[in-house]
Amino acid sequence: MFYVALRILLYDKIRSLITLLGVVFAVGLIFNQLGIFLGLMETSSVIIDHTPGDIWVTSKNSKNFDFSQPFPEYIYNQTIADPEILSAEKLIVAWGIIRQKEGGTEQVEVVGFNPDTGVGGPWDMLAGDTRYLKNGNFAIVDESAMKRLGKIQVGEYRDVLFHRLQIVGISRGVKSFTTAPILFTSFELAQRLVTYMGSDSTVFVVAKIKPGASVDQVIARLQQRLKGVDVFTAADFSMKTRKYWAIETGVGFSFMLTIVISFLVGMLIVGQTIYNSTMEHIKEFGTLKALGASNSDIYRIIFSQAIINAMLGYIFSLIITVSTVKLYEAGGMVMVVRGWVNFLVLGLTLLMCLGAAFVSVRRIKSIDPAILFRG
Amino acid sequence: MSQAIVTTALSKVYREGKIEVTALASIDVALMEGEVVGLFGPSGSGKTTLLSILGCILRPTSGSLGIYGHETSILSEKDLPDIRRRFISFIFQGFNLFPALTAYENVILGLKMKGITGSDATQRATRIMAEVGLADRMKFLPRDLSGGQRQRVAVARALAADSPIILADEPTGNLDHSNGRKVMELLREMASSQQRCVIVATHDNRIEDLFDRVLYMEDGSILREKRG
Repeated sequence: MFYVALRILLYDKIRSLITLLGVVFAVGLIFNQLGIFLGLMETSSVIIDHTPGDIWVTSKNSKNFDFSQPFPEYIYNQTIADPEILSAEKLIVAWGIIRQKEGGTEQVEVVGFNPDTGVGGPWDMLAGDTRYLKNGNFAIVDESAMKRLGKIQVGEYRDVLFHRLQIVGISRGVKSFTTAPILFTSFELAQRLVTYMGSDSTVFVVAKIKPGASVDQVIARLQQRLKGVDVFTAADFSMKTRKYWAIETGVGFSFMLTIVISFLVGMLIVGQTIYNSTMEHIKEFGTLKALGASNSDIYRIIFSQAIINAMLGYIFSLIITVSTVKLYEAGGMVMVVRGWVNFLVLGLTLLMCLGAAFVSVRRIKSIDPAILFRG
Repeated sequence: MSQAIVTTALSKVYREGKIEVTALASIDVALMEGEVVGLFGPSGSGKTTLLSILGCILRPTSGSLGIYGHETSILSEKDLPDIRRRFISFIFQGFNLFPALTAYENVILGLKMKGITGSDATQRATRIMAEVGLADRMKFLPRDLSGGQRQRVAVARALAADSPIILADEPTGNLDHSNGRKVMELLREMASSQQRCVIVATHDNRIEDLFDRVLYMEDGSILREKRG
């Protein structure tokens, strides 16, 4: 039956090509929207996900990584006092202003961390080293910031929050959901730069637990002991940040709506062409039934057409998507193309095409034998 | 000769709202193996309805239909494909060949529907295509064949599976007289040599001499019968 389906598709070349283009368009759009959405989500929690730590202590009711409030540094001492905490680090994330070379200013996200441990700092350096941040007014910028800040080279100076900082390194792969450039400094410098924080505050405490200890139990203990803060596992805080950007900003809804529309458009295109093809061959299908074929024999031909459309459309879309990932990167965007995403889109594509074939299947079920006898 | 098809008080009534139209009225007929029967009558006389019911693609309103001893009126809709697969093949006026498949592939697909596959199917298809005179046209698509050749492919598809009953609806309707007669002669020759029961619904009086028996229908009834 697969062979018959293939032959029918090859025979109706123009129609098959239009259907295929429809599937490629719909699936390509699904790949694209899903990939960019996931890219944005990964970007929103990229520092949490790359920071080696099991537990994140944040200000009370903190909604995400980018807009957390400062809390007293003694929380750090209370955290590290827990018998099952192996190590803990303070981390500052705050908003600042950088002066542009050619005049004007740009908003930046300042991340202050301990350069000795690197916890909360950049993980992939293009130039320089995180340890250069110690003992001075030094900063590291991410290469993605150059779109907003212009060309930056190691050794040059920039004014950040009215302090002159020397750039001592360029990192790679650190972007924020807000698109504001990220600037890394030492924790102490960040405290000095962000004056509203005061000299005895931090924004996060990131802790590692001892081997064999239970994260849930440690969190439960910290929640009881620490006042005025929230305590999360790294995974939960990452998810909380992603959910904030996806749900509360409406970004997720917008992307999902496009995906649903693409799915429906694809389904309509495939459904219409398969239905037209079925109606054109209705007498032949009826003849097969007259010869003894069961409905399911004929359904197999129709579903095979749907599967062929789905697989070809999917493969072409995947090739196009993979080949455009670099283009997105050049445009400063991240598009996620991974195994599970590919499988998810394959499943959606098959569902779309098989769902579209159901209309034709219903028509086959109710073939009027009289049509067979019309010349 | 044993009985291939036996009907008793077979009737078909179509209902549209409160209006009832009797398409077949109490048909009693027995059709034998090796017999080539013609169903003649004007349009609307019930030929096609009778053919559809004999072919188990339409259910009668009342009466019984026996096919090689199997009483089909008591069978469920699900069981009818099996009866068609085992006993019945069709030939239609419009040929109803898959345009995307070659002549040979159309025959193979017909065989597949009858549960015949593999080398048995390929041997049968090759043989029957040669017997209907299309050995050199096997790889042609229907669009590249003449009307007569297409009908011969349809005949080959019907005969290849060795179904004991062949039902043909106006098989010469789309052909000129010469081609129509050739197709009917082929059908008759192959059917009678293999003891098939062939029933042909037709308007074409010019082929009346090719039937063993002719049934004249009007208003859903068999008015008279003539033996050839």
